[in-house]
Amino acid sequence: MHFAVSLDIAAAAGQAGLTFTEIAGFVREAEAAGVDMVIISDSADAPSSSPFEATTLLAALATVTETIGLVAGASTLAHQPYNLARRFASLDIISHGRIGWNATMRQNPREAANFSRPEGIADSDFHRRAEEFIGIVRGLWQGWDAEALLFDKAAGRFHDPERMHLLDHKGEFFSVRGPLNVARSPQDAPVLVMSGLAAADRSFAAGAADVVMLDEPSPEDAKAVCDDLKRRVQTVGRKPEAVKVLATVPAEFAADSLDDWFASQGWDGLNFALPADISALDNFLDRVLPDLRRGLTRSTDAGATLRDHLGLGAGGGQ
Amino acid sequence: MSGRQMKLGLFLWATGHHIAAWRHPDAHVTAGIDIDHYIKLARTAEAAKFDMVFCEDAAGLREANVQIASQTSRSIGFEPVSLLSALAAQTERIGLVSTASTGYNEPYGLARMFASLDNLSGGRAGWNLVTSASPIEAANFGSTGLRPHADRYERAREFATVVTGLWRRGASGHDGQSFSVRDPLDIEPSPQGAPVMVQAGASDDGKDLAARTADVVFSAAQTLEEAKAFHDDLKGRLAAYGRELDDIKIMPGVAPIVAATKAEAQAKYDALQELIPDDVGVALLSSYLSISDLWRYPIDGPLPELPESEGMKSRQALVIEQARRDGLSIRQLARYFAGARGHWRVVGTPAQIADELQARFEGGAADGFNVMPSWFPGELDAFATLVVPELQRRGLFRKDYEGRTLRDHLGLKRPA
Repeated sequence: MHFAVSLDIAAAAGQAGLTFTEIAGFVREAEAAGVDMVIISDSADAPSSSPFEATTLLAALATVTETIGLVAGASTLAHQPYNLARRFASLDIISHGRIGWNATMRQNPREAANFSRPEGIADSDFHRRAEEFIGIVRGLWQGWDAEALLFDKAAGRFHDPERMHLLDHKGEFFSVRGPLNVARSPQDAPVLVMSGLAAADRSFAAGAADVVMLDEPSPEDAKAVCDDLKRRVQTVGRKPEAVKVLATVPAEFAADSLDDWFASQGWDGLNFALPADISALDNFLDRVLPDLRRGLTRSTDAGATLRDHLGLGAGGGQ
Repeated sequence: MSGRQMKLGLFLWATGHHIAAWRHPDAHVTAGIDIDHYIKLARTAEAAKFDMVFCEDAAGLREANVQIASQTSRSIGFEPVSLLSALAAQTERIGLVSTASTGYNEPYGLARMFASLDNLSGGRAGWNLVTSASPIEAANFGSTGLRPHADRYERAREFATVVTGLWRRGASGHDGQSFSVRDPLDIEPSPQGAPVMVQAGASDDGKDLAARTADVVFSAAQTLEEAKAFHDDLKGRLAAYGRELDDIKIMPGVAPIVAATKAEAQAKYDALQELIPDDVGVALLSSYLSISDLWRYPIDGPLPELPESEGMKSRQALVIEQARRDGLSIRQLARYFAGARGHWRVVGTPAQIADELQARFEGGAADGFNVMPSWFPGELDAFATLVVPELQRRGLFRKDYEGRTLRDHLGLKRPA
């Protein structure tokens, strides 16, 4: 069983946000307990404020943690694919291979209005655009072969020109030449987490995602969606275990209600969604985490990268 | 001791600023994939009481010709905002300044990112605004070519207005030519009020934008006269925007090579120059001249007549001026610029370098300097252990930080 913690760092109106020290302390305790990854989401649907933007926070957290996976939400409306691919590739090198990108397929109603699209963006356009965006990012992460960097001072050969590849993408919404000016990821490619899936997104996610997060309200609903996703994963020619499905548990829970979620099988793990509230974090560490330990199966020598923790294969071709 | 002290920035650049730095026997060749290397550099600079470290940036390769690119270390590196966010957690006092383009970002996203870096670092962030002049970058963002110079600056002016408005929280709601933003910024205000604004453009459009919005200006000048002319020109534009002379710190780039004797320093420089392949030097020169076919001209002949550029106008003019003044061939000019990309080079003993810096600082040509070590970590260590103590002994540079934020270090007012 895999465990993730989603931390929404956007504070409710009138409340103070968490400090970096508080967040780092929490993440280190989750790391010590063997949690696979912490997912930072920072963009609320309603006006609110956070001390930090998720990817910058992740870079700082990477330097004060050693093994836990670090995932940030970043929207396809608020970024350009080249910039986003580059940011996450860079974070993956900083963290020695522990980074994931949580790509949400749900539109945040505030984003279009703040990112120069005052008329908004039609839902069908948003989905086609998001799929194209995710495809570009995955392609850019494949721009450098594993043995591309030579570092040969005497011969003056820094890299092998044959092992660097242009993307040359020309699509409906974007054209991107590439390659990325960041070296290949230590885990071949950062982990692609997808969330906020509508039923129509499931086939795309089955082909592209490494991790899918479900936010169905009950174990029964989550199991039905999970089974459907795993079927689709096989349909596109991937092994069912190539995509890890995590069911999200809504923040208010008692430890004993977790038994329902543990008992139902199908998904690969649970994701605990926590608000930016120090008492909720303490409650999780003191009351829930000890209970989870019985479900934690990862051995300490399972490998250093987030892909290793999740039992995912290499992220790149070539 | 006079009250006025110079500001020092450390211009980070993977293996070093010299184009052949990565081939130097002591250069850290895996710099572009080694975060610990950067943490060490930032801590060295912090221990020497530098005001800031600075990262430049381009969202794409530096060189279109892959055979040329593969002979340099410049095709890979860290994305600078993530790099500096990591450094924020590993340093305590030094300022953290990164370049980000107004061409390929949205103001709301950029304002969030730098406000977050400012919060992570306890008020040490700065944004170096660039408009991006490279067609290689443009091809990564759906454009078929570079936007004309004037259009890039029009967009940059609007961009800067929106970002500073978001940081200062007064303005809410912007509906302009290139951008629209509805809400106030959703990142909490930092101890610094707003990140420091930096600029480097030296064209007329660039200087006007700097006079209106910048706290710090990086510049490139070979001679004291050029540096002073730029300094006086830019500071002369401040009054029109209701600003005072001290509201902007002008920091020209300087590429020092320091050793115990002048001959030893010269030998270090010559050895580096020998490592530059001719085709790499000519390609780099071509990029500063914004032309693609310089290789067609005889390498030992003079620079041909060139059309005015839509790329980096001011750098092109500087290169041409240098070629004419010193009667340099293409090969000589290429070698000259491969060392420091048009920035001022000083080669000598700690006292000689301190003399030169002092002359420009006291001669009204600079408020400080952006230091560009030729290779890392060796030339940074040499500057920090040999030149900085000499500047401190002369009362020209701080012995300890006076405050906690980058604005404190630079003596800048908190934004209204």
